[in-house]
Amino acid sequence: MLAYILRRLLGLIPLLIGITVISFVVIKLAPGKPVILQYSLNPKISLEEIKRLEKLEGLDKPLFVQYGNWISNMARFNFGYSLSDGRPVKEKIFERIPITLCINLLSLLFVLLIAIPLGVRSALKQGSLFDTTITVLLFLLFAAPGFWLTLLLMQLLCIQLGWLPISGITSLDFEYFTWWQKIIDVGRHLILPVLVSGLGSLAGLARYMRGSMIEALNQPYIYAARAKGLPENKVLYKHALRNAVLPIVTMLGLSIPGLLGGSVIFESMFAIPGLGRLFYEAAMMRDSNVIMAEIVLVSILTMLGNLIADICYGYVDPRIRYAQK
Amino acid sequence: MKTLLEINNLKVIFHLSGQDIVAVEDAHLSIAENETLVLAGESGSGKTVTALAITRLLPKNASIASGEVRFFGQDLLKLDMPELEKIRGNKIAYIFQEPASFLNPLYTIGNQIMEAIMLHQAKTRAQALVVAEELLNQVQIKDPRRVMLDYPHQLSGGMNQRAFLAMSLACKPKLMIADEPTTALDVTVEAAILELLMKLKQSLGFSLLFITHNLSIAKRIADRVCIMHRGKVVEEESREAIFSAPRHFHTKELLSAYEKIGKI
Amino acid sequence: MIGSIIIAALSLMAAFAPILARHDPAMIDQSNLLMPPSPVHPLGTDGLGRDLAARICYGGRISLSIGLIAVGIATLIGLILGSIAGFYGGFIDSLLMRFVDIMLCFPTFYLILAVAALARPSIFNIMVIIGLTSWMGTARLIRGEILSLKEREFIQAERAIGASNSRIIIRHLIPNAIGPVIVNATLSIGGAILVESGLSFLGLGVQPPTPSWGNILIESKSTLGVAWWITVFPGMAILITILGFNFIAEGLKKKIG
Repeated sequence: MLAYILRRLLGLIPLLIGITVISFVVIKLAPGKPVILQYSLNPKISLEEIKRLEKLEGLDKPLFVQYGNWISNMARFNFGYSLSDGRPVKEKIFERIPITLCINLLSLLFVLLIAIPLGVRSALKQGSLFDTTITVLLFLLFAAPGFWLTLLLMQLLCIQLGWLPISGITSLDFEYFTWWQKIIDVGRHLILPVLVSGLGSLAGLARYMRGSMIEALNQPYIYAARAKGLPENKVLYKHALRNAVLPIVTMLGLSIPGLLGGSVIFESMFAIPGLGRLFYEAAMMRDSNVIMAEIVLVSILTMLGNLIADICYGYVDPRIRYAQK
Repeated sequence: MKTLLEINNLKVIFHLSGQDIVAVEDAHLSIAENETLVLAGESGSGKTVTALAITRLLPKNASIASGEVRFFGQDLLKLDMPELEKIRGNKIAYIFQEPASFLNPLYTIGNQIMEAIMLHQAKTRAQALVVAEELLNQVQIKDPRRVMLDYPHQLSGGMNQRAFLAMSLACKPKLMIADEPTTALDVTVEAAILELLMKLKQSLGFSLLFITHNLSIAKRIADRVCIMHRGKVVEEESREAIFSAPRHFHTKELLSAYEKIGKI
Repeated sequence: MIGSIIIAALSLMAAFAPILARHDPAMIDQSNLLMPPSPVHPLGTDGLGRDLAARICYGGRISLSIGLIAVGIATLIGLILGSIAGFYGGFIDSLLMRFVDIMLCFPTFYLILAVAALARPSIFNIMVIIGLTSWMGTARLIRGEILSLKEREFIQAERAIGASNSRIIIRHLIPNAIGPVIVNATLSIGGAILVESGLSFLGLGVQPPTPSWGNILIESKSTLGVAWWITVFPGMAILITILGFNFIAEGLKKKIG
């Protein structure tokens, strides 16, 4: 097991290099110069001044050197300064992590709590009205654009019914609330974003769970378990479910990067100050330092997420944990 | 000798999309105490379906249309589930063709054997552990402690089959139903398993319903032979009668096929 | 899935429907701002008085073609890289698969956003960038298929009669392996349309006044409580189209087995 992990870790190094190279190349190649704050507001700026500012940022050196500088800086967790407001990129990113993480974790929890039982129940009642209805609904959910559903829900819940607030994470008079009121306020604001972020994955996961459970139920060892005299519920939960849930573990690992990737669209719609929105703003402002930093960060997390998923799967499935004798 | 199992007029239908297929029609057979009945026939003749039907282990799309299965006089088809579950694994046990597929890959051998023990006997985990190891000894597994901790994929086919056998014998069943248990094994392993099975049958005293398409096995171990063809029982005789004076044309076909390839 | 045929027909209709639209989608009609659905304007009008039905029809043309071409590009790239990797194996395979792994680590939506923001967002750019970020699935699929087909007898036979490598790949391996790739491609079209509408919704995709289902929905943000038709209809168009392609994919999956 340990050897397996070490091998995978080593294999990550070329991946890491590849990610950084490609990110760098893509951003540098994209047409349009990075706008530096100082001269974006001054249309009369002279050519020398521009050149001087570029030299300051190190943008005049050959690409190799720029890449090298960038990598060595990153290794020391120095992501440079935002080109749009001069603040350190690291600060801007880290202050947004908690909120994005929070929403995505809650969303993941929500998805798991609903998709797994739904999938299992559909599998058990295969072919029934319940199953068919749910399958149709999930199909629709899968095909519907998330931001559209958000708009519809916003229309219904926020405007027509007025149950939930439409944007932000706190209300205007937040500071005057008591502790308990503050919690409820944040909660109310978060319900909709958490819900809609999860809808897409809910559909996929539930369908996958259903398929996995059906397959597990048809395995020979299920018949053998019944032949032993096991009551049906034990057969289902101890034997079938345990096997069916295994591939879900991998999927969980794969959704780890999603935890920080943040959804640009949802965060913009709900005016939530998270990583996704930061990226959007940076993209609009052509703030290449922030853009590159976020892309690399999320890519690395994806890589780690995959590794964790593989390790978890390897641990949980004895066929991988113990090789054949 | 008392009659242990008696099947009368069994009819099993499979409901496939759009079609209903009769897999077993008017099946009948009986097994006495301590007797070995070989249920033989070609693939698709309904042997496995009949065997599964005995304890109602059929898949959801199959139904038992009519008939009765009397075990010690009690009709198993009429029992409600809790009662039936008490008999499964306890009084009637199974072994199957590919042991590795029929064992749960996520649990150790020990865990699965102990599950069978603790299900029907009031024993603690510690007690069950001891019993399990003893069972593995009985099936001639040399290092029971280690095998208990192994997972099915780590063992060979023969070892898995022995372990499965141990699991099935955990509660000292009165009837062992073996569905082609050696078909997937190498010839030498097959011989060893058969010998083990017959030895255990003698020492523990159970009846054996042995399903196979291989008549040479029947010749070796059967007291009586029952031939199935296309879902129907066509002949049910003692071993000598089947091999010396077969009556049904299909039995004769089977026998001649085996003789031709020199296997009998 | 018979539903697939029905929905497929609907999708085709969307492609040709623009010719059926009665109103000019760009025509601004000040007297008819934000009108709910009526016999004259069957789906209502938007904030500039433009007929929504016409805009949706023309937008459909654009969204559909972006989806189709983007997936076309992605499939082509995937086929080429995947078959080379699968066929030649060894070092080339490892190299290419590493490349696939790297590309898979990228948050594709972020990349697309970044490029769309940094370059000028044009329809062509969008097609290309979506294509360049979605070929990985196809590549892996075809590589897998080719790896297993490579050793089969009919391929050995071809080699024995001296067929060249490229001939074997193009005329024998790919046609046999293409099944899952087509299913995957069909499903991806839905995904591509989703990405494009997301981009347009954020203002980085198809630029107004050219209509695209995504950018029509931009307006719905500000007219939420007031004009429900601007929200409902474009979204439904996207939903039905993606559903249609998904159904076709499911049907194909069953046929290929």
